[in-house]
Amino acid sequence: MQNRAVTFEHVSMEFPGVLANDDISLEIKKGEVFALVGENGAGKSTLMNILYGIHTPTAGRVLIKDRQVTHFHPKNAIAQGVGMVHQHFMLVPSFTVVQNIVLSREPRKLGVFCDEKKALDTVERLMEDYGLAVDPTAVVEQLSVGLQQRVEILKTLYRGADILILDEPTAVLTPQETDELFAVIRRIVREKNMTVILITHKLYEVMAISDRVGVMRRGKLIGVKNTCEVDEKQLASMMVGRQLLFDQLEKSGTPGEARIEVKDLVVQDNRGLRAVDHLSVTVRSGEVLGIAAIEGNGQNELLEAITGMRPVQSGSVSVCGQDATGKTPGQIRAMGLAHIPEDRLATGLSGEATAADNLLAGKHRQRRFNRFGFQQRPAAIAQYAQQLYDRFDIRGAGIDAKAGSMSGGNMQKVVVAREFSFDTPVLVIAQPTRGVDVGASVFIHERIMEKRNQGCAVLLSSADLDEVCRLSDRIITMYEGKITGEFSADAVTKEELGYYMTGCRTGKEAVHAKP
Amino acid sequence: MQSRKQERLGYLLSLILSVILAFAIGAVILAVSGHNPAQAYLAMLSGAFSSLRHVGDFLEYAMVLCVCGLACVLAARVGIFNVGGEGQLLLGAIAACQVGVWLDGQSAWLVLPLAVLAAVTVGGLYALIPGVLKVKLKVDEVITTIMLNTIAAYLCQFLAKGPWKNANKNIVAGTEQLNARYWFGGLVSGSNLTTAILAAAAIAFLVWYVMQKTSKGFEMRLTGQNPRFARFLGLKTDRMVLLCMVLSGAMSGLVGMFRVYGAEHLFKSSISNDYYFEGLMVAMIARYDPLTTILLSVFFAILKIGAQGMELSAGVPNQIYLIIQTVIIFFMAAERGIFAAIRERAARKKAQWAAQARQEGGAAHV
Repeated sequence: MQNRAVTFEHVSMEFPGVLANDDISLEIKKGEVFALVGENGAGKSTLMNILYGIHTPTAGRVLIKDRQVTHFHPKNAIAQGVGMVHQHFMLVPSFTVVQNIVLSREPRKLGVFCDEKKALDTVERLMEDYGLAVDPTAVVEQLSVGLQQRVEILKTLYRGADILILDEPTAVLTPQETDELFAVIRRIVREKNMTVILITHKLYEVMAISDRVGVMRRGKLIGVKNTCEVDEKQLASMMVGRQLLFDQLEKSGTPGEARIEVKDLVVQDNRGLRAVDHLSVTVRSGEVLGIAAIEGNGQNELLEAITGMRPVQSGSVSVCGQDATGKTPGQIRAMGLAHIPEDRLATGLSGEATAADNLLAGKHRQRRFNRFGFQQRPAAIAQYAQQLYDRFDIRGAGIDAKAGSMSGGNMQKVVVAREFSFDTPVLVIAQPTRGVDVGASVFIHERIMEKRNQGCAVLLSSADLDEVCRLSDRIITMYEGKITGEFSADAVTKEELGYYMTGCRTGKEAVHAKP
Repeated sequence: MQSRKQERLGYLLSLILSVILAFAIGAVILAVSGHNPAQAYLAMLSGAFSSLRHVGDFLEYAMVLCVCGLACVLAARVGIFNVGGEGQLLLGAIAACQVGVWLDGQSAWLVLPLAVLAAVTVGGLYALIPGVLKVKLKVDEVITTIMLNTIAAYLCQFLAKGPWKNANKNIVAGTEQLNARYWFGGLVSGSNLTTAILAAAAIAFLVWYVMQKTSKGFEMRLTGQNPRFARFLGLKTDRMVLLCMVLSGAMSGLVGMFRVYGAEHLFKSSISNDYYFEGLMVAMIARYDPLTTILLSVFFAILKIGAQGMELSAGVPNQIYLIIQTVIIFFMAAERGIFAAIRERAARKKAQWAAQARQEGGAAHV
């Protein structure tokens, strides 16, 4: 009984409207590296946040080293030896390494003063002990990301952690830094008998470092395997699921001329790192080109660069034959592009404004909505908004209700209704049905297909593989800003796609690629 | 789900409750400090309405609050918190005044338009500085506008004590007095009320009209609510922010001109006693709604002039007005937090019940 580090018994976590963890039972053994994999929103982080005491589960029990957790709070979790390194570091950038490590648990002198010398000694001993070298007097903001992560790990060790949770630790690391991190993990597990829980969705990392692996999907734990008994393909298919939820959609017509042409495009993400790496792609009229990629592999940056929401470093973008490189969103829209953005609340609408205003936005300068060219005509606007509201089957408190008070699915319909009603020859669509219920999803899919059959060029990106497969004519897989494969949608399985999405496999591309 | 009607009703309710509570707290303070609250409040009422002169005074002050408040609303509409109106007002006032001094002897038809132009230009340009810093360099406008207030105040003091000082030795810091033929005509004898209020009313109407009724106002609203969404739609958000900032500064400057050519007839630093800040408070209480700002300006002007009358007749310090005003703001601000907390608790409870019910249901099946 002594070898259990963590036990989850029938743990469920429900947020208002979302079941993030659904009846999860899981044992993690002492001294193992346990990998937790799953797509975004599968519930991995929620489960680990429960273990770290950030959330109190709505049902079930959690045991740490066979002792039941009664009061969920990070303080208690830390006292039990749980340490967590978040994806976004929790360090004070202007403090030194030592100051960050001992913060809130400084060795005291005379009860009140911080004993800096003792702190330095302790930290140096810790570094030596675990073989984690960082200059202890360096200021954190001047360290590389890899070293900052090391400081985070040291911080948890200083607090006495023997169960270490790493939330997507390699997302921000270079390949060399990743190798170093793995070496550190192996060492602390072997020499200190620590337990490491690794949240990730890169499957080769699972194979490289873990002893066992748990796969989560839509809040459920799908299965737990010994890593040596599975391969990446099996994991990929477990991750994305096999079930086909929808009927086949009717597709008609043949692709015509090129409407979006991207050549040798380079784009940076918000941190200034290269997110899109010399990528070229073409979308033709009358086809849907789907992008299959795991979150954070450059697909969002690609779409934002095409639509003018993000600057282009180099390369070119053209929309309907016109040069759109570095143009503003307004100019690119004028070329004939409409855009459903990934994040509806941040970009796609104004939550403060009414549904009617959100439906009108963009067309508000049209003559039919203005008297003398500048005074709004409320009756004409209300009539138009109501018409869209009904046609797109939006359900809420009416066109005068704030968009922000609607459910996610109906908000998404507002965005779809507005963007589709521009009747543009090009559509760029990101996450069309994220957080949208099945009924509304089917409805949105049908509208997208309608556009395609009318000859619209559609570029689609979605974290939902089912969706990509269902809607696309062609599919490209992206990994770390590059295209790793191009497939005809009816000649590829999800398992194959999952395989190409989770690693760089350009060598095998020739097997499946279509010219 | 909340419709706009419900929201307006909720706002009205919390406003009335806040006002009542503020007066109640004011009454307690009055009682504790040895005044009879009922008497004091009666004195306040008669202080504002007992004579036509007082009515004129509160209308003049309502004009100041209203234009200042709307200047603040205009900037807030595009997401900018213009705290710098005080400086824009002072600079507008002194510039307008000096135009009248320099052109003394010219026709009023020449002087007044030029004075307006001077006030609008100086106020607008002074507001453009924080606007450009915000748009181009993402410098927080609250800090820059506050700092620019101080610079403007000292600059005006320097000018009024130095190069533009009144030759009359009795005035420590003030410009020359304007020729009487440039003054706005008085509407009520003995009060500060002048024809400037007509111009102010026209401005208030125009601002309300543009913000609430036109497609430009629609674009301003979208920009303020979610700038990323506005940019996504193809609006030129940077240009919109700069435009509104300049207009906001121009309106503040114009208030200064109204004060000089209406009530004071020369520039001195008491031309504005933080009047812009009081207008800003009115705008905040009105939640940046133009029509509400106009109406509340009248309400708070009555309070202020009434409180001054109360001080004279009942000996109660007029600071009670400030207490009441700030307590109203406090309640209006707290109301949102209180309701949000109640809603969040309810949602969490509901989720827990649902989970429990499901578990019990599941257990029953097993």
